[in-house]
Parts: sequence; structure tokens; C-alpha cells
Amino acid sequence: MFGPFRITSALSGGLLWKIPWRLSPTQKARQRRRLRAVDTVVEVLSNSLAKTGQKCTAVERWKAEMPTEAEMLPRDKYTMFDRKAKRYRKGIHKLPKWTRVSQRLNPPGF
Amino acid sequence: MPYWRITLHRSAIGLPKRTKGVLAALGLHKRCQVVFKPVHPQFAGMIMKVKELVKVEEVDRPKTKRELQDERKPDPGFVVEKRGSEMRGALPWAREVGEGEVRL
Repeated sequence: MFGPFRITSALSGGLLWKIPWRLSPTQKARQRRRLRAVDTVVEVLSNSLAKTGQKCTAVERWKAEMPTEAEMLPRDKYTMFDRKAKRYRKGIHKLPKWTRVSQRLNPPGF
Repeated sequence: MPYWRITLHRSAIGLPKRTKGVLAALGLHKRCQVVFKPVHPQFAGMIMKVKELVKVEEVDRPKTKRELQDERKPDPGFVVEKRGSEMRGALPWAREVGEGEVRL
């Protein structure tokens, strides 16, 4: 029952994916909440820097290049580019540490 | 001078060393810890590195450790209207115990 040679469905049956291929509605809601939280942080930083008349390249670049949660397309919120996946898309939850990293942009055309 | 109140919301377990290093440089070592940093591009850049892990607010002045503790205190459920030391004259049967303290 225990040990390295135990029989589990993943070991004996060959290919068995334990990660569902798409996100559940709750996961998607939490993902949107996390995206908005990051947007808020950037907003707070740029607002208080603007108030004191200062500039930060990292904040400016993010604001110029990255779409906010509201501007993003659903397919960019919940899926990401993968050159090996069918139709070049996979669920964003396949990205390691996906709840704590930002992954907003994908190659144009994919 | 405005400050940023930075709270570590998500832990950096399993994230790159540099991310952990940025958190350590900000003085954040455990979840829900709060630090105050002045509004300055240098700190803005550091927060940008860990923006997925922290919550940021702008405040006028940093809070002391005591004030942060008081924030977390639950409502005691009563209001102190008068202290014992103020009641010394009002209650003739109360005897004085020590400096400024009165016991009934």
C-alpha cells in the first residue's frame, strides 16, 4: 500500500491527468480577484508617486504595457500560450505558481 | 510625508530567491506582517517586484508597533466612563490603596 511501487491509478493506468484541463467558475472568480488586486497595488503606487511629483520606470512601464483586469480578454485571463498545446492554448493553472505570478500578455495572433 | 503601508498577503514559499530577497529587503518575513516605507521611486520598484504578494495603502504617517497591535484588538464590549482615581472624592466609603488607586 505504501512505498515506491504502490499501485495507483496514475502509475498503473498510464496517462492520467490529475489537473483538470479548464478552470472552475470559482477558480476563475478568484483569478479575476487576484488580477484586480495587482491592478490596485499598481494604481496606489502610481497615484502616490504622481501626488509627490516622482516617477518610477517599473510602474510607468507596467501601466503602459499591461492591460488591466477589465481590459483583458477572457481567453487571456484564464488561458495562456503554449507552443506544444493543441490550438496553442492551455489553462493558466498549468503555469507553476500561477496564483502568485503575473501572466497577462500572450504572443500576438495566438 | 506620505508613506506606503505594505502588508505581506501571500507567502513567497517556492518563489525565486530574488523575490524572497526583495521581501527581506522590505522587512517582510511572515504573512500579514506590516511595514511602512516612504513614498519614493526606490520603494515603488521594490513593491512592483512583489506586487502579487502584497497589499499596499497610502498613509500619512507610519504607525507604531503598539498602534498596530491596538488595530487587531477586539471590541471589549464596555466603555470606561471614569477611572478609580477620579472617584476618590465621590465615594466616601472607598479606601485608598496606593498611589491614586481606590478600591471599594
